[in-house]
Amino acid sequence: MSRSATKSPGDELVIALAGQPNCGKSTLFNAVAGFKVNTGNFSGTTVAYTETRVFFEGRTVKLIDLPGTYSISAHDLAEKVARDYLLSGSVDVIINVLDSSTLARSLELTIQLMEMDVPMVIALNMFDEAQKKGIAIDAAKLASLTGVEACPLVAVQGSGVHELFRAAFKVSREAYRYRKPVYDKDVEECIARIASRYPQSLGELARVNERFVIIRLLEMDPEFEALAQEADPAFLQFVRENRRFLAEVHAWPETGVFASHRHAMVMDLFEDVAVVKSRAKLSFGEAVDSFIINPAGGLIAFAALIFLMFSTSFWLGDLLSGLLEGPLDLVGRQLPGLLSGNVLILAAGLWDGVTAGLGIVLPFLVPLLTLMSLLEDTGLLPRIAFMMDGLLHRFGLHGKSVVPLILGYGCNVPAIMAARNLEYERDRIITLLVVPFISCSARTVIIMALAGKYLGAGYATLIYLGNIAVALAMSFLLSRFNVETSPGIIMDVPPLRRPYAGIVLRKVWAMTYEFLAFAWPVIAISSIVLAVMAHAGVDAYVNAALSPVTAFVLDLPENLGITLFLGIFRKELTLIMLESALGTANVASVLSPVQLLVLVVFTVLYIPCIATISTLWKEGGWKVAAASVALNTTVALVVAGTIAHVL
Amino acid sequence: MKLDDLGQGALAVIAGITGGRGVLARMASLGLYAGKKIRVVQTAPFKGPILVEDVATGARTMIGRKIAAHVEIRNEEPR
Repeated sequence: MSRSATKSPGDELVIALAGQPNCGKSTLFNAVAGFKVNTGNFSGTTVAYTETRVFFEGRTVKLIDLPGTYSISAHDLAEKVARDYLLSGSVDVIINVLDSSTLARSLELTIQLMEMDVPMVIALNMFDEAQKKGIAIDAAKLASLTGVEACPLVAVQGSGVHELFRAAFKVSREAYRYRKPVYDKDVEECIARIASRYPQSLGELARVNERFVIIRLLEMDPEFEALAQEADPAFLQFVRENRRFLAEVHAWPETGVFASHRHAMVMDLFEDVAVVKSRAKLSFGEAVDSFIINPAGGLIAFAALIFLMFSTSFWLGDLLSGLLEGPLDLVGRQLPGLLSGNVLILAAGLWDGVTAGLGIVLPFLVPLLTLMSLLEDTGLLPRIAFMMDGLLHRFGLHGKSVVPLILGYGCNVPAIMAARNLEYERDRIITLLVVPFISCSARTVIIMALAGKYLGAGYATLIYLGNIAVALAMSFLLSRFNVETSPGIIMDVPPLRRPYAGIVLRKVWAMTYEFLAFAWPVIAISSIVLAVMAHAGVDAYVNAALSPVTAFVLDLPENLGITLFLGIFRKELTLIMLESALGTANVASVLSPVQLLVLVVFTVLYIPCIATISTLWKEGGWKVAAASVALNTTVALVVAGTIAHVL
Repeated sequence: MKLDDLGQGALAVIAGITGGRGVLARMASLGLYAGKKIRVVQTAPFKGPILVEDVATGARTMIGRKIAAHVEIRNEEPR
């Protein structure tokens, strides 16, 4: 098979990275994106892929990082997005990224991608890890058996990246000649029979190569079945007869017959190209893994992790913000001497906002984000999911929700996006509605800075635990409304991996940059606006409008209305604006302990921030976003109101 | 015998999986279908999932207890 369309070296080349989850696609993407011209996040209504334009090895490349998929059967959104993109005809070269340490399984996707007949290169990523595991892979042999160039790669170290892209460029220039994966006699005869009746109309509808469509139909792919039905119902009937015949011959269920054939083919290929030497000794990662996968070991590890998480963000954050506070204060006090009148009002507002971002948010944000990245990179999240699944079932959730819920402690926005991995709509909606109750780093800062500082660490912990209880109670209630039960968890558990400092730092920097570039200016501008509003007396109107909530329900000073309102934009704003709204740095002198408690509890629970709401809208539709706002506000009013009137 | 009857360390071969098309497809895409030789690595607390290892590839997958009850297995003597 070959493609006639080749590109000349001057043209932009579109290269898509496709591979199974956890194969290191994004690491490769980031390694190359270091040479970037520009990067953007392109998100459809459901699942996003990232694309970047890079100048690499003398060529302009549009690089697309597709969502990780185990197969291209389009059983979930991620698979569908990846498949549609690859079949759209706009991809010049596919780089199929494989985790060499799980080569046998990774090759299943490779075979499916090959059948698409789009020029392709295989990247044998984590080649070093495979070697450590005793798997010796003959890349040249893999290339000669498949006809697809195979390049060893260690993306985390950036080794092999240049060779890989040179191979991709070569495939784009020259005719691509892959060896058609050949199934056993029964299957091939079956494909030939179907091909002889292949209607032209289906070819026009599907606009993909015939063999690929036939294989998809034999795999009961609903999308291609619908196309076949549209093109020629009799043909589809014929395919179904053949499918049943194949299943009967092998005494396998119809749904699994093709997968089993492909699997047999993959295992043959694997045995041809790889030699597995058994090792007596467990690697360090495997030893750690076997400890934490035990219920007792897991519990110890989990408790240690939670302790580490809070102690880091609390003590380290406290230490850092303490170090920053002094010098920043000193500068702030010079302002009245240097400026006067309206300029002073603006400057003071700006200074408040700038220092708040620097001194309050960053010291807590950075340690928390670092921990989150570590959790993601090492592969601890699926292990936590494994341990918590049984427990979470009692609250109507399941283990897969653990990933978004834990990420939610960093920031709700990526957490909501992570809920895409839940394949059942019911689980996804419940998770989407529970995540905004999770106290993100911004709200954790508020708990630490208000409850921790004025009420003591005990109260801060209590609020935190209470928050978890509220989140669990919400998921329990939501699951009662939605009686259909989910079939449960099926989830890949990748090997534990050593985190790489460079990659973790890059991730933390990307998220911190987002804060510095987008959130920080918002905080600074809001601070100026608040200062001006306070000067002009406008805040009084907002306060008056909100007074039924602030004064009546929550029993708080009326002038906190504006700060709670601003908190919808960024949760940190409530904290930052508090001092200026109350007109004193010593919050405890104005608010009673109960009022402080009410304020913190309310802030933690009420309306999710704007960024969260818009992400919810994008991921779950406006109804989910609206439900979330209503739910959070109601719960916050009830819980905080009860505390205010009972205590 | 079903997958959820197996204890830790047990070796078995998947004989068949019953259940909806989505479940079957998801299992298949993770390499779990009839004929696969698996090992139970660990069972999670609170009636949680079962961690199985594909003996041929070493790949690990957790399977919820409810789904495991739909996985028919043949026992395989450890070698």
